[in-house]
Amino acid sequence: MYAGAGPVVPGSDAAMKGAGTQQTLPALRGILQFQMSLDCPLRYKRLTIEVLLDRLVLRRLYPLAIRICEYLRLSEIQGVSRILAHWACYKVQQKDKSDEEVAHAINQKLGDTPGISYSEIAARAYDCGRTELAIKLLEYEPRSGEQVPLLLKMKRSKLALSKAIESGDTDLVYTVVLHLKNELNRGTFFMTLQNQPVALSLYRQFCKHQERETLKDLYNQDDNHQELGNFHVHSSYSEKPSSTIWVFAARGFPPSPCSGRVGALQNAVDEYYKAKNEFAAKATEDQIKLLRLQRHLQEDFDKPYLDLSLHDTVSNLILDGHHKRAEQLYRDFKIPDKRYWWLKISALANRGDWEEMEKFSKSKKSPIGYLPFVEISVKHHNRYEAKKYAPRVTPEQRVKAFVLVGCAADAAIEHKNETEMNFVLSKCTASTDTAVVEKLNRARAQLLKK
Amino acid sequence: MSPLDRIANVSILKQHEVDKLYKVESRPALSSSDQFCFLVRPRIRTMRYIADIVNADKMSGRSRKYKIIFSPQKFYACEMVLEEEGVFGDVTCDEWSFYLLPLDEDIISMELPEFFRDYFLEGDHRWINSVARALQLLNSLYGPFGKVYGIGRCAKMSYELWRDLEEESEGDSQGRKPEIGNIFLMDRDTDYVTALCSQVVYEGLVDDTFRIKCGSVDFGPDVTSSDKSIKVLLNAQDKVFSQIRNEHFSSVFGFLSQKSRNLQAQYDRRRGMDIKQMKNFVSQELKGLKQEHRLLSLHIGACESIMKKKTKQDFQEMIKAEHSLLEGFDIRESTSFIEEHIDRQVSPTESLRLMCLLSITENGLIPKDYRSLKTQYLQSYGPEHLLTFHNLKRMGLLTEQSAGETLTAVESKVSKLVTDRAAGKITDAFNSLARKSNFRALSKKLGLIPRVDGEYDLKMPRDMAYVFSGAYVPLSCKIIEQVLERRGWLGLEEVVRLLNGNEFSVSDSAAEDNPAWESQRVVLAVFLGGCTFSEMAALRFLGKERGCKFIFLTTAITNSARMMEAAIEAKA
Repeated sequence: MYAGAGPVVPGSDAAMKGAGTQQTLPALRGILQFQMSLDCPLRYKRLTIEVLLDRLVLRRLYPLAIRICEYLRLSEIQGVSRILAHWACYKVQQKDKSDEEVAHAINQKLGDTPGISYSEIAARAYDCGRTELAIKLLEYEPRSGEQVPLLLKMKRSKLALSKAIESGDTDLVYTVVLHLKNELNRGTFFMTLQNQPVALSLYRQFCKHQERETLKDLYNQDDNHQELGNFHVHSSYSEKPSSTIWVFAARGFPPSPCSGRVGALQNAVDEYYKAKNEFAAKATEDQIKLLRLQRHLQEDFDKPYLDLSLHDTVSNLILDGHHKRAEQLYRDFKIPDKRYWWLKISALANRGDWEEMEKFSKSKKSPIGYLPFVEISVKHHNRYEAKKYAPRVTPEQRVKAFVLVGCAADAAIEHKNETEMNFVLSKCTASTDTAVVEKLNRARAQLLKK
Repeated sequence: MSPLDRIANVSILKQHEVDKLYKVESRPALSSSDQFCFLVRPRIRTMRYIADIVNADKMSGRSRKYKIIFSPQKFYACEMVLEEEGVFGDVTCDEWSFYLLPLDEDIISMELPEFFRDYFLEGDHRWINSVARALQLLNSLYGPFGKVYGIGRCAKMSYELWRDLEEESEGDSQGRKPEIGNIFLMDRDTDYVTALCSQVVYEGLVDDTFRIKCGSVDFGPDVTSSDKSIKVLLNAQDKVFSQIRNEHFSSVFGFLSQKSRNLQAQYDRRRGMDIKQMKNFVSQELKGLKQEHRLLSLHIGACESIMKKKTKQDFQEMIKAEHSLLEGFDIRESTSFIEEHIDRQVSPTESLRLMCLLSITENGLIPKDYRSLKTQYLQSYGPEHLLTFHNLKRMGLLTEQSAGETLTAVESKVSKLVTDRAAGKITDAFNSLARKSNFRALSKKLGLIPRVDGEYDLKMPRDMAYVFSGAYVPLSCKIIEQVLERRGWLGLEEVVRLLNGNEFSVSDSAAEDNPAWESQRVVLAVFLGGCTFSEMAALRFLGKERGCKFIFLTTAITNSARMMEAAIEAKA
């Protein structure tokens, strides 16, 4: 298609072979012929190929320009692609053809020629006010990411979002999401996100760090009670009531009932029930109970209790000798027997309260056996106490107990049990237990003689 | 040690007029310098830290120059935050596309520990780009890669993105002799079990006990037997370390003792020397011997420290429980062991790890245990761990066997959220809901539990199971072994199904035409989400057996503790 003045290049394709000046001369013969019809004379020698091509393009002599590129063997990007891009940009301005036709024609001519950005052509179309054409052209752009900026400009935000997600470029998705946030009203914004899980997830991440309140709204929108529950639990830890408590106490006011935290936790409980997550709801209810109790303990004993785990709370109570209170918690929170016993003997040993430990050991049958009593006494370097419990250990574990206490050899010899003797021998170190080793070896030899 | 220390340590930086180094996220930096430069990863938290500093300066009337260098790239969200905090105009931003840090002669790390949490917990794909660029870089230096194998959604996405980058870049890889012939990409969640096991090869144990950072470890006074701690670089340059790093711990102490004796013998040689020999000895050999002596005593000290810690924590009992879980018997006993472990407050991360191991090997805990173990944990360590359990559930690490909810119900929930086009890019968070573990079936199919008559010889191991005392062949390594052997996934269809699909195998025909024999033997094993030292030891062993060399590329070094820490919601 020719849209300007000037003759057609004579069909000298056959002659236009070869390289170098042999190529240029015939090509330029055409130009010189054309030159003569121009208003202002062109001086070939002073023109570079680029400028020449530009002038041709300006005059819309696209086929001529393309032929010249091809004969001069310019790389596609330098030559043909540029021309085609110019041509396409011109084409989109043609108001007489329909969008469909123009888009099709352009695609036909351009195909997949490298170096052509369909998005640029589409941008030009948009600038001419042909939005639909622009969108059709964008469809040809192979890289989804390239389509996004123009789509945003054209206010096709939802499409922009899909394309961004398709491109796999997380950063691009972020850009679009944040752009949408400013562009759309809240309701529409959330609705758009609902349909795009990837974008939603990214936005949630952003909110988690930057705008926590929005997170709540997002979850509300979604009726996601589980996450709302988590949200409230998380908020409850972000508040620091402990300092507030002491400030109040110091000023003589009754300490605030850490309402901020408990309030948040109560909200969490409600959400967890709505989410049918009984476990989380009960656990959080227990936590509220514990916090309230800890507050009282702090008041009563003037020591920090808030924010300790249940285990540590009970442990600290025993360490300070408040056994009745510890028992109370044991019952109220349904602490399993095994745990309570482990806890108690550790704490008592730490405190050095061997008397209490003995009393406790006799209070009822130990759910953890008596080996732990031995272990913990030995850990605190109290062999004397350990010896008290060793005989109460079950038979299978007795040798182990005696090893710990250091009179294992005797027990094994007493039992006339070879396995036990071997076990004890394995625990002996050559340097310190020579006497014991000898004793055992003699006993073993005697056994084997039988 | 941080990646920066491996590239430019403090003295080099000081030579370039850096006054002082501060760590981001501890106390705010108080300094009188009038230029601040922040070298950071693109995180919103960090942006707020920087904004706080800038705003504080503004309030006190100080004016300084601020530059932020984002590594490996800047994210739009960061700019947004800087804008929202009102400091965007006060700072200049730059990018440092730093992707790969060689930690050793066969280990390359991307130093992205956050990859694990970001991708597998949050479903955030932000780092896939970095992985693709890292692959592109390696390809341009050592490629073109002949065969590409992979399994896992992230592996697939990274591969596809990398291919797109290659197409766009018009790089010319023709005419270059390839040095890496094969590459294998694997998602961490293909095999969580291995990462959760206690490590017993020396390097793994050191990592578990002391935590190796960027290839370097801090040995405290209990190891150095003095009152100082020292930083030691652990790599193939350390002659002592390189000989013991892959060995099972039981062999290590004996080996070190033997070496000590040899060393002593060498020292003793000087008794019979004349002046000339002595001079020679002092100038040539003494330094080397002293160096070896130093290294030996360090490693012996480390071994002693490790053994002390292990006996304290009933290591033997725990290993027994672990092996039972791997093999699949005495499950009730193991569960009781775990419960006791929690009750006795031995270690929070260890308890969590054992719970996850139980869950994955058993395809979820039975509801009674799920409730009970969680309750015990909350009582021991605090109720904020409700959120921790939520995280672990999302990642598929600690789940409940759901009798009522069949797989199809979950699938339909997931499919409601998927649109056609976005199907490929759906977040993994949803994927893990629908994902089953299938460990037992895989174990049977691939023969991961060796049947041994008599004792398993740990000194002269005969298969990769030695890295776990002969009890278990690491699943990830076994998969790699099988795929390399078969040059593809043919014959492994059932295994692929049990691994939830997403396998691929691609050959670059151009590279196949000229098989440079040397490069065919080199395999780049890429772990997306972290790689453990045990897996590296196992694959090095495999390499020796099969006559190929493994190079490891990982998003970060990992172990069970790091994985658990990624899931734990700590109090603010």
